[in-house]
Amino acid sequence: MYRILKNQRLVPNLYHLVVEVPEVARSAKPGQFVMVIPDEKGERIPLNLADFDKDKGTIELVYLVVGVSTRKLSRIKPGSSLAGVAGPLGRPTEIGRKETVFLVGGCFGPAGLYPIARELKLAGNKVIFLTEARDHAYVYWEDKIKAFADHYFNLFRRDCFDSGKTLETAFNMVKLKYPELSRVLVMGCDYLLHKISTLTSSSGIKIEVYLTPIMVDGTGMCGACRVTVSGKTYFACVDGPVFDGHGLDWVEYFARRQAFLPQEQLALGKLEILPPEQKKT
Amino acid sequence: MSKLESFEPGLAKKLSEEREKDWRKALRRELTVQQRLAIPRHRMPEQPVSQRIKNFQEVNLGYTLELARAEAQRCLDCGQPGCVAGCPVAIDIPTFIKHIEAGEPERALEKIRETNGLPAICGRVCPQEVQCEKNCNLIKAGKEPVAIGHLERFAADFIGQLSEKVTVSTKECSAGKKVAVVGSGPAGLTAAADLARLGYSVTVYEALHLPGGVLAYGIPEFRLPRAILNSEISFIKSLGVEIRTNFIVGRTATLEDLKEDGFRAFFLGTGAGLPAFMGVPGENLLGVFSANEYLTRVNLMKSFKFPEYDTPVPAARKVAVIGGGNVAMDAVRTALRLGAKEAVIYYRRSRAEMPARAEEVKHAEEEGVIFNYLTVPVRFLGDSQGRLRGLLLQRLTLGPPDSSGRPRPVPVPGSEYEVEADLAVVAIGQSPNPLLIRQIAGLKLGRWGNVEVDWESMGTSLSGIFAGGDAVRGGATVILAMGDGRKSARSIDNFLRKC
Ligand SMILES: Cc1cc2nc3c(=O)[nH]c(=O)nc-3n(C[C@H](O)[C@H](O)[C@H](O)COP(=O)(O)OP(=O)(O)OC[C@H]3O[C@@H](n4cnc5c(N)ncnc54)[C@H](O)[C@@H]3O)c2cc1C
Ligand SMILES: Cc1cc2nc3c(=O)[nH]c(=O)nc-3n(C[C@H](O)[C@H](O)[C@H](O)COP(=O)(O)OP(=O)(O)OC[C@H]3O[C@@H](n4cnc5c(N)ncnc54)[C@H](O)[C@@H]3O)c2cc1C
Ligand code: SF4
Ligand code: SF4
Ligand code: FES
Repeated sequence: MYRILKNQRLVPNLYHLVVEVPEVARSAKPGQFVMVIPDEKGERIPLNLADFDKDKGTIELVYLVVGVSTRKLSRIKPGSSLAGVAGPLGRPTEIGRKETVFLVGGCFGPAGLYPIARELKLAGNKVIFLTEARDHAYVYWEDKIKAFADHYFNLFRRDCFDSGKTLETAFNMVKLKYPELSRVLVMGCDYLLHKISTLTSSSGIKIEVYLTPIMVDGTGMCGACRVTVSGKTYFACVDGPVFDGHGLDWVEYFARRQAFLPQEQLALGKLEILPPEQKKT
Repeated sequence: MSKLESFEPGLAKKLSEEREKDWRKALRRELTVQQRLAIPRHRMPEQPVSQRIKNFQEVNLGYTLELARAEAQRCLDCGQPGCVAGCPVAIDIPTFIKHIEAGEPERALEKIRETNGLPAICGRVCPQEVQCEKNCNLIKAGKEPVAIGHLERFAADFIGQLSEKVTVSTKECSAGKKVAVVGSGPAGLTAAADLARLGYSVTVYEALHLPGGVLAYGIPEFRLPRAILNSEISFIKSLGVEIRTNFIVGRTATLEDLKEDGFRAFFLGTGAGLPAFMGVPGENLLGVFSANEYLTRVNLMKSFKFPEYDTPVPAARKVAVIGGGNVAMDAVRTALRLGAKEAVIYYRRSRAEMPARAEEVKHAEEEGVIFNYLTVPVRFLGDSQGRLRGLLLQRLTLGPPDSSGRPRPVPVPGSEYEVEADLAVVAIGQSPNPLLIRQIAGLKLGRWGNVEVDWESMGTSLSGIFAGGDAVRGGATVILAMGDGRKSARSIDNFLRKC
């Protein structure tokens, strides 16, 4: 169980993990996530499903190395096993028909959006896909995604001083070109989610953001993941993880994400010195 | 004795037959009733307060054989044992106690195990003072009740496992038939053990990565050491039960999927995992936790050993816990052990109404927990960073009884006051975990989102699906959950014989 088939660097800051979990692969739907426990003393961390294969019984994950758990994860060799994988969790992304959907992914986002793009495309929707990245070295799966996108483009943060402006330009360009645009899905770092939500607040278009609050069980049992949307509290792991970016209480969301910052830094400091290939990405 | 008959027809007769055995008669004659009544109740040896508030080891150290035998002598071996009727699974209490008095704890444990599969756990966590011990006839004689829970725990701990002795039936009709148990709490584990004994092929599915339900994620080690839980679980595995962790029924596979995989009957023991919040302003501030999150971090994820274990737990100086049940006591005592300078319970009724086990309240008081009765937070107060800095509290008085029969707390106008706190734990109750049960088409749910069952059989509105424990009762007790699991196992056996 939970045997790792592949665990290697995808781009400088992201790793690509393929694990055997037949039951999860069998039930997985685009937009869902799993809880991963790296080792016996590990934390339960949520990661989006970047792909799944019923026949092979495998799932794929793409993760950013940030703290102790993801760092530990990056050190586990193929052939060995994770302590646990539970899922699929969260509501699958709704797949409509004949809609024009704009998918915006940054960091690990393009990976998690990939199966969503595929499903949307196969259901007859028009898929516009934007990868937001520092520069070209951070772009991955371009060809894979293009196979299911009507229109694919990259946006590099390095190219402009004020990236918010560029996102805005990109968004307006898409809106102009596809006036029928009705949905926008955003996955990636908080910055991206927040930026798009604010710059589209008067556009009349629904922004669906994939939130990444701190989670413990991922099954609705603890309330660690609670977020406020339009004045109401939700448990992101069972009610989400997708929410209306215009209704979210961002201030609270950002604050709650920082809950364990001092402890995380302490733990990271105690983790032994990084192997050379992982220093500084 | 009619109460006894409601457990099991012929139980009263069975008890009195046991009682009339020669060894029992002889033992009764060894001491007079007066001599027995003169023995004071033997206190449970405990870790000293100053030491225990710095560790997560068990507070109660357990009786020695000498203490246990001396305590067993207090039992009068009554012809009409009130204790048995007070125990939700009707353990033959006088028989097991007399085995201890006779110096045969092994036989005591065998007796207990006839009706209770988790004695080491029940002896520790049952609210004895409102169950078996409440009905002990010694109370009528003006004495303290026999320490039935302590003795049960003693028998279980002294002997450890009986695993070699277990015989699993290989009845033709059950052999090979697959039964799925959802949830590995006391309800699920008991159902699984009984079904395995009946010869069924049982798989327990558990959403979390470790089995045990609340026993694993909720109740702290200082009340229930994990070694005890683990040995009970390996005992159940030794019966042939397979436990699949990290498997969320309804997500990893649906009941339909499991039916396709050949499962013929289901037991839902999914518990009451959904934490209630108060719905007052500021509840999502940093530093406000549900008891489930706080306790899960510490117990299941072992964050009291952070950073050896990776899951962090908030450090706090002043901790406010809202609630008066076992969950609140566990949270507040955990906070003390994690180094809180001040740990306070805010409970909206008075001490008399507090639902926590008496022993937990006593331990909490000894450990320096401050109890504030008749108070309720009306707002959590935050600083500019969204961190909790205090609570706005309101005083209450007790009015006429509400639907639960307890006096209704009534706010005192103008009584609001502020206190400082950097961590608050909300422990005001939980309701049935909706994840699976709301997903099953046609499954009848009650007013609180609980699974509705026929109490005779524990059958739900759907054929072949049975349910018990907190999923049915809301927050109840370990022993009631186990009783439901046992009843369901019998009903599943009846059901599968027919098909
Ligand atoms: C539903 C969901 C899906 C997710 N999918 C993915 C995914 O596909 N790929 C991926 O790389 N990550 C994903 N995340 C985020 C991932 O869970 C966290 O990055 C991870 O838990 C960090 O663990 P750590 O121990 O390595 O870092 P920690 O030590 O816990 O944190 C280190 C630093 O990272 C920051 N951090 C903490 N939590 C998060 C977070 N949730 N997201 C980003 N930064 C965080 C903290 O501010 C902290 O300073 C997802 C989160 C959720 C809730
Ligand atoms: C902190 C705390 C302290 C307590 N103290 C006491 C005490 O001292 N004495 C006492 O008698 N009672 C106590 N109780 C109550 C007692 O623990 C419960 O009544 C009892 O555990 C209920 O048992 P259960 O088997 O019904 O459910 P649970 O113990 O809740 O177990 C349910 C299990 O099902 C799993 N599950 C849920 N949904 C799914 C799904 N879809 N798929 C797979 N698995 C699933 C859950 O993860 C969980 O492990 C306490 C409760 C708490 C929370
Ligand atoms: S199971 Fe609980 S109620 Fe029954 S005798 Fe044991 S401690 Fe008492
Ligand atoms: S009622 Fe009390 S004294 Fe009588 S048999 Fe039960 S435990 Fe013993
Ligand atoms: S992570 Fe525990 S409720 Fe969502």
